[in-house]
Amino acid sequence: MLARSRLLVGSVRNAAVNTTKRAASTSAEAASPFKLNAAGTAATAVAIGSMAWYYHLYGPELHAMTPVEEGLHPTKYPWVHAQYNKTFDHQALRRGFQVYREVCSSCHSLSRIPYRSLVGTVLTVDEAKAMAEENEYDSEPNDEGEIEKRPGKLSDYLPSPYKNDEAARAANNGALPPDLSLMVKARHGGCDYIFSLLTGYPEETPAGAVVPEGLNFNPYFPGTGIAMARVLYNELVEYEDETPATTSQMAKDVVEFLNWSAEPEMDQRKKMGMKVLVLTSALFALSVWVKRYKWSPIKTRKVAYAAPKMGGRRGH
Amino acid sequence: MGFFDIVAAAMPWSESEAEAVSGGSSTDSTPANSGGEAKDPSGPTPDDKDEVADEGEDKEEGGEKEEEEEEEEEEEMVDPKETFEEECKESKACAPSKHHFEECVERVTGNTDSKAPHEDCVEECTSPIATSLTSSTLPNMQTVFHLAHCANQCAAPKLWAALK
Repeated sequence: MLARSRLLVGSVRNAAVNTTKRAASTSAEAASPFKLNAAGTAATAVAIGSMAWYYHLYGPELHAMTPVEEGLHPTKYPWVHAQYNKTFDHQALRRGFQVYREVCSSCHSLSRIPYRSLVGTVLTVDEAKAMAEENEYDSEPNDEGEIEKRPGKLSDYLPSPYKNDEAARAANNGALPPDLSLMVKARHGGCDYIFSLLTGYPEETPAGAVVPEGLNFNPYFPGTGIAMARVLYNELVEYEDETPATTSQMAKDVVEFLNWSAEPEMDQRKKMGMKVLVLTSALFALSVWVKRYKWSPIKTRKVAYAAPKMGGRRGH
Repeated sequence: MGFFDIVAAAMPWSESEAEAVSGGSSTDSTPANSGGEAKDPSGPTPDDKDEVADEGEDKEEGGEKEEEEEEEEEEEMVDPKETFEEECKESKACAPSKHHFEECVERVTGNTDSKAPHEDCVEECTSPIATSLTSSTLPNMQTVFHLAHCANQCAAPKLWAALK
């Protein structure tokens, strides 16, 4: 009885307590258990009802976009180079650069990467020089003020496929192929997203899906309609190290390469981070030791009270 | 940076690019190379054309060879991603997604009534109009998104073990 009455609220509870008291004193005129039950039930119903109403008003999470507009979230892949103590696989970078050069570069620029930065990470000096010389760049004005063309040098940047964004749009049905230099950093999901996008073109568009004219279906692209068609197919490139050039292998390599182009400092940064951890932990240990050393006389001293000797008067 | 340069120089394992930089500095290499190779602006164009033509011939030859090889072997390269994902779609974990997807495809392809609300199997199998009327935006069908997500999730570690 008492236990149940605690569930009730406000005046109902007081009434219930009174009734129980009365019930205890005189069992004859006990309040009907039906009323008590009804009060308890009503209070519970009100409580549950208000919670339900609140949930109805504010409970369901609102999304500004449908999942289709959001795009399918990419799967997390266990990228080795993303681990704290791992570097880029430079053989993979080399393969990825080959894929970029032979496939992606026909539409996408990589305008922030100079040939010199490829030296020692992706290419050897001679390879990079030879590759730079394949392109022509503007030289300094000559004596007549004309700007002549000269073969590229290591300090030149990778050439872009189009003169400017407008030309790129005009050549691609109005869609601008974005520059890939920082693409891994620029897209939510980074490496996973780009890998999923490159390999995620389904064989056939799902039943009922409407793909606008000139677009292709890719579930990973927000809105699922992407202007870029599937480009990577098995054996599209021939790797110099004879790795089987499957679609996913090429995608993985080119994504790792694009991660390098976005974060060329990554290997160095991780090494520096390790140095910082080692140094700071050593210095911390040293500082702890120094503190204990300096404080040891204070920490180990013993404060003792020696009662003054009061001559011979103590005996009295 | 001076301090770190000194530290780096003291550590034998720290820098490997010193060699590349010394070889790549333009002051050293330009005079040596300019003697050996044609560097003037008019030079590269005919060379390039020749190279292009050579490459074209090579490609043609290579293509023929590849075709012959393919005919002999009759084996096409199979993407491990597709293999794993097919396996994963058949697996027990993805069975509900697959079932729902197939159900959706059946309904959508079977639905030829032009008056019926438009449906697709991209993410959920309810029509946009119907959802807005019932105000239930919860995805109630497991379709392409869910099936693809399930298959990818299951295939990811296997794929990474298989790729180089």
